[in-house]
Amino acid sequence: MNSHGEQHASGTPPAGGLEYRVAHLRDRLAAGDLAELGARAEVRGQAVLLTGTVPSAHCRDEILRLAGEELAGVEVHCDLVVAEASSPDHAEELT
Amino acid sequence: MIRVAAVGDIHLGPESQGTLRPAFETLPECADLLLLAGDLTRHGTPEEARVVAREIEGLAVPVVAVLGNHDHHDERPKEVTAILQDAGARVLEGESTVVTCGGARVGVAGTKGFGGGFVGRSAGEFGEPIMKEFVRYSRRCADALRMSLEELAEQGCDVRIALTHFSPVADTLAGEPLEIYPFLGTYLLAEAIDTAGADFAVHGHAHAGSEHGMTAGGVKVRNVAQPVIGRAFHIYHLPVRERAAAARTTAG
Repeated sequence: MNSHGEQHASGTPPAGGLEYRVAHLRDRLAAGDLAELGARAEVRGQAVLLTGTVPSAHCRDEILRLAGEELAGVEVHCDLVVAEASSPDHAEELT
Repeated sequence: MIRVAAVGDIHLGPESQGTLRPAFETLPECADLLLLAGDLTRHGTPEEARVVAREIEGLAVPVVAVLGNHDHHDERPKEVTAILQDAGARVLEGESTVVTCGGARVGVAGTKGFGGGFVGRSAGEFGEPIMKEFVRYSRRCADALRMSLEELAEQGCDVRIALTHFSPVADTLAGEPLEIYPFLGTYLLAEAIDTAGADFAVHGHAHAGSEHGMTAGGVKVRNVAQPVIGRAFHIYHLPVRERAAAARTTAG
C-alpha cells in the first residue's frame, strides 16, 4: 500500500497535490508486484495520462487498477499498449 | 553473414509463460544466435527466472544473455544466472564467449553495465561515498567490457559484439526524458567499445528510447528493448567476408 499518504496531518491536501499523487503512483508501480518502471504517468490538465508498453494485458489491467486506487476522483486516460510478441518480418542489413 | 537475433526487457512473470516461445522457435530459420539484453524478469526471482528458462531451453540456436537491473532486484543474480545457464544460456557479466556460426567465430562480450550519463552531463567520482561507488561500479563494468572485447580480438574472432543492458550512447535514448539519461547508461561503455573495438553493440533498458545509434568511434548501436522494437526480437545481418575483404584492401 501507499505509505506516503495524500494529505497533510492537518487533513488538507498539499499544494500541487495531483503531482505528488502521480509520483506516489509511480513509486507504487515500481515497488509492487509489477516492478513496472516502463509505464509513464503524467499530469495532463486535470487528468492523468498513462503511456508506455507493458509486458502483458495482466500488467496493463493491474496498472489501471492501481491508478484507480491512487488517483481516486481523478480522470485517468490510458494509452498503455501490450508488447508485441510476434517474429519480425524483416532483418536489418548492417553494412 | 552472421544473423543476430536480439531482444531485451522482456520482463517475464508467471503469467507470461509461453508468450515468446512460439516466436523463439522460429529462430533457426532466421538467426544464428539469440542475444538477450537483460531485464528478462520483473524482480529477479528464481520463479521468474524459471519462466525465462522455459522460454529459451532447447532452442536450436545459441543463447547469450546479460542480466538487467530488474534481474538484480531480488538480490539473487547468481541464482538467476544459474537457472538461465541450466536452460542452456551463456550468461555474461564482465566475460566473453565465442559462438561458431557457419565457420565464422562470433565473439560476444557482455556486462549489465550501469548508469552515470554521457559526456558533459555525467556523474563524477566525487563527494559522498555512495556517489563515488556509483561511478566506480559503472567504471568496473565498462573496464570488464573493454577487457572482454580485447580477449575476443586476441582469440581471432571474425565478428565481435558488445552486449549490455544499460546504453553506451545517448542516441538510442531519444524519446526518454533527458532528465533520466544518467540512469539509462554511460559513455564509459562506449569508450570501452571504441577502445577495444567491436563490430556491433546491442543494449536494452530504455523502453521509450529509439533503436538506432552509433558510438563516437563509429560502432553501430541498437536498442533492442522489446517496447522499442515492437517484436519478440529483431534480426541484424552482420557481414563477415565483406569486412575481411575490406580489411585486406585497407592493409594492401
